[in-house]
Amino acid sequence: MSVAIDTELALLLDTGTAWTKAGVIGRVRGRWRLVAHAAQPTVWGEEELLRRLVEQLAATADARLTGRFHELLGRSTRVECRTPARAARLAVVAVSRELSGAAARRAAEAAGWHVTDLVTFDDGRTLAERVAIVQSAEVDAWLVAGGFDDARSARALEAAALVAAGRRPGGPPVVWAGSEALAADVIGLFEKGAATAVGNPRPDARREEPAELRVHLQGLLRRIVGPADEERLTPVALPRAVAALALAAGLRVLAVDIGATSAMRVLGEPDGTVESRVHARGGLAGAVLLPGAAGRVVRIEVDAGDEPAVADLLHNLHARPASLPQTVEELAATQAAARLLLASLVEDGLGAPLDLVIGCGRTIAAAPHPAQAMRMLLDGVRPIGVTQMAVDAGGLLGPLGSLSDAEISEGLTLLADDLLVPLGTSVVCRGGEPGRVAMRVTIHRAGWPAYSPIEVRTGQVQVVQLPRGQEAELTIEPANGVTLGAARRSPRITATATGGAVGLVLDGRGIPVGLPRRADDRRAVVASWRDSLMREAPPGAERVA
Amino acid sequence: MTSVVHRVRLPIASTPSVKVGARVQPADVLAKRRPPTDGVTIQVAGQLRLPAAAAAGSLVARPGAMLQRGEVLARDARGREVIVPQACLFLGYDPDHGTALLSPLGDEEPIVGHVRGRVTRVAPSAIDVRVAGAVVLGVAGSGAAVHGKLQVAVAGAGDELRAGAIDSETTGRIVVGGSRASAEALTRARAMGVAGVVLGGVLDKDLRDFEATQLRRREVGGGGGDFSIVLLEGYGKIGMDPGVFGWLQGHDGKLVSLFGDDARLYVYDADEPPSRRPLARAGDRVVGTRRPYAGAGGRLVRILGGLHVVSSGVPTRSGLVRFEDGRTGIVPLANLEATEVPPGG
Repeated sequence: MSVAIDTELALLLDTGTAWTKAGVIGRVRGRWRLVAHAAQPTVWGEEELLRRLVEQLAATADARLTGRFHELLGRSTRVECRTPARAARLAVVAVSRELSGAAARRAAEAAGWHVTDLVTFDDGRTLAERVAIVQSAEVDAWLVAGGFDDARSARALEAAALVAAGRRPGGPPVVWAGSEALAADVIGLFEKGAATAVGNPRPDARREEPAELRVHLQGLLRRIVGPADEERLTPVALPRAVAALALAAGLRVLAVDIGATSAMRVLGEPDGTVESRVHARGGLAGAVLLPGAAGRVVRIEVDAGDEPAVADLLHNLHARPASLPQTVEELAATQAAARLLLASLVEDGLGAPLDLVIGCGRTIAAAPHPAQAMRMLLDGVRPIGVTQMAVDAGGLLGPLGSLSDAEISEGLTLLADDLLVPLGTSVVCRGGEPGRVAMRVTIHRAGWPAYSPIEVRTGQVQVVQLPRGQEAELTIEPANGVTLGAARRSPRITATATGGAVGLVLDGRGIPVGLPRRADDRRAVVASWRDSLMREAPPGAERVA
Repeated sequence: MTSVVHRVRLPIASTPSVKVGARVQPADVLAKRRPPTDGVTIQVAGQLRLPAAAAAGSLVARPGAMLQRGEVLARDARGREVIVPQACLFLGYDPDHGTALLSPLGDEEPIVGHVRGRVTRVAPSAIDVRVAGAVVLGVAGSGAAVHGKLQVAVAGAGDELRAGAIDSETTGRIVVGGSRASAEALTRARAMGVAGVVLGGVLDKDLRDFEATQLRRREVGGGGGDFSIVLLEGYGKIGMDPGVFGWLQGHDGKLVSLFGDDARLYVYDADEPPSRRPLARAGDRVVGTRRPYAGAGGRLVRILGGLHVVSSGVPTRSGLVRFEDGRTGIVPLANLEATEVPPGG
């Protein structure tokens, strides 16, 4: 007698501009688990991806299903998200570079636009040059800004006129984000329906209020790059998943994704609200655009090689975003570039301390060693206080976020064991005097003898092994002038640390990380931090740098 | 013979001067335009004898409009008019001084296509030209569109383009180098009137040094024609794929157009060049795209099973490659491209 064996699978796909990640979810002893995972350059195509997944399934799944995995994957539930194939382009025309221009540009970049041109009246160009730029711009939208809300600035109206002179009738939409008093005049310069007025990001000289403009530009971008299946766009799906995770766990969660071309930060609050920003050129390919990028990479990473070689590498990351670092130097330089990109992603602050930081994207989540992922997150984000650190190694968060609200919560619960790979917990403080004790940390673990307090000096990193699944109670005594981010009423702070692949990282390097001026000293210090994180240590022992 | 469509984008207010079906040469003018020049102001309130703020209500043209010579800019209730003295863009009105800011249109300028072929579409925003020939796509480049005869100036795909290879015979040519060109070689090429350079790679440092030299030259009033660079493999000392290099050698002396900013080279009356395929199979001829094998050609002997940890520590699908320079190495498949020679090539 033969028994028909069958199984149910779900295929989770995250299609990026350079790499596609796929996970197969199947039932293992009655529970939904990640049973296969593959990542490959997107240009290789889906057939190749499925072949890899089938190979993995054939090696691990019930032998009675052998030969049927293609068919099973073919009829599996597909849950997918994708990064828009091309960045939407936008030109900013504003009155001043530092005020209206900078605010408009920041809002546009945070909404995921690629700002191709920034034209301002103080940019050093002649009027003819400005007109020439506007007339030859190839963009998907125009953003015009200038003037405070209580004034009718002639210059702001002139900025709008410049766009009216350079834009073809029926061309891309125009967003007016300048003086409220001029809104009707500006809209009147264009054909009906072409221009929209939104809140001024610089309503006066002292305030910057970019939120309304950013939200408007996010909506406009979605209409332009992905009018259909909007919820399947990664910039929409990932925030939905992070919001659900933050709500379910009651945590303040930051997810950062450094992709091949774009980067994204998502901040989920315990009440389920979420704020996200996409930087169209914030991915690895955009590292070359950071001011002095090669020099900065060499400064923060001793293994990256010399500056000319790093400069060539950064250009090649732009030219060939789907390729991989094959040498130690290239990997070190790539990860250092990712740290710079992360720092620029969070440069305008994150508010209160975070509870959980999640690294997404292959550079972080698929780093060869968990300590490398921890280092990128720690150095890039500098999360002050006590923070759990994890990576979305399977690339599952994005696809899950494309489901309906109820299904996202269900998916997070079902995949709890496989969703995130915990790296451990970081304790990052700010302040203190060089060489002096910045904080004393006492670690209490059930079943372990109590340690005497660990002294962390300013400029020092210490790692204590705390394996995945273990918890420890921390008593932290910051020194005078040292803070963990939140106001404190007692000289001691207690917190819970959860374990992970790296463990508990006690970080007294400050925010931002201070580096010695002398090159030799700097190299020695940076190498000691790297070694401290990378070194394998017996359980319970701390590693000091 | 292969053909491709090249699009020549037109700035706003351009007037096409060719029609669909027309045959064009690289130096032909496809359209003309009068670019706006630096701003001038004219008195509006004064001419209307109105207070500056009140004269704003008399404007009949709206900011951003293009006005022809003699067109009315403002008219008051008594019929007094302000006329623009020449064709211009009206860009704004200053209510404090009662003046209008105009950008007069300059002399007519030609828009040169830089390609040879037949016009297939003429629209206000672009002109499409079908080019009889082949296109070679680079991975990076810089510079405006140029055209000229192709001249291979190195003996091998991995050879460096040296300053000594640039002489008076290369003037007006598109020069093909091998693995790199120093800042000195690029500066000499520019000085000798070379129209453009095609390389396997170039060091970012050399390129920046060259650009700094050009900037200084412009600051002291040195002009000269356009110059364009296209890289076929990437940044660094990277040899050109010998297959593509051999193909370019086969078309030495032919007319080509080089678009640096678009990293694109058109070779006229040419058959298809060797192409690249991203996912290489065992037995394919391949080219490496990243250090330490960037630009090196070889044969993919076999694909390793499962994931292989390469020297950086990254676990990835990899293959064993026997390179033509004698090296043998395990390379991530993501860092390999298969080369394909077109039928009959």
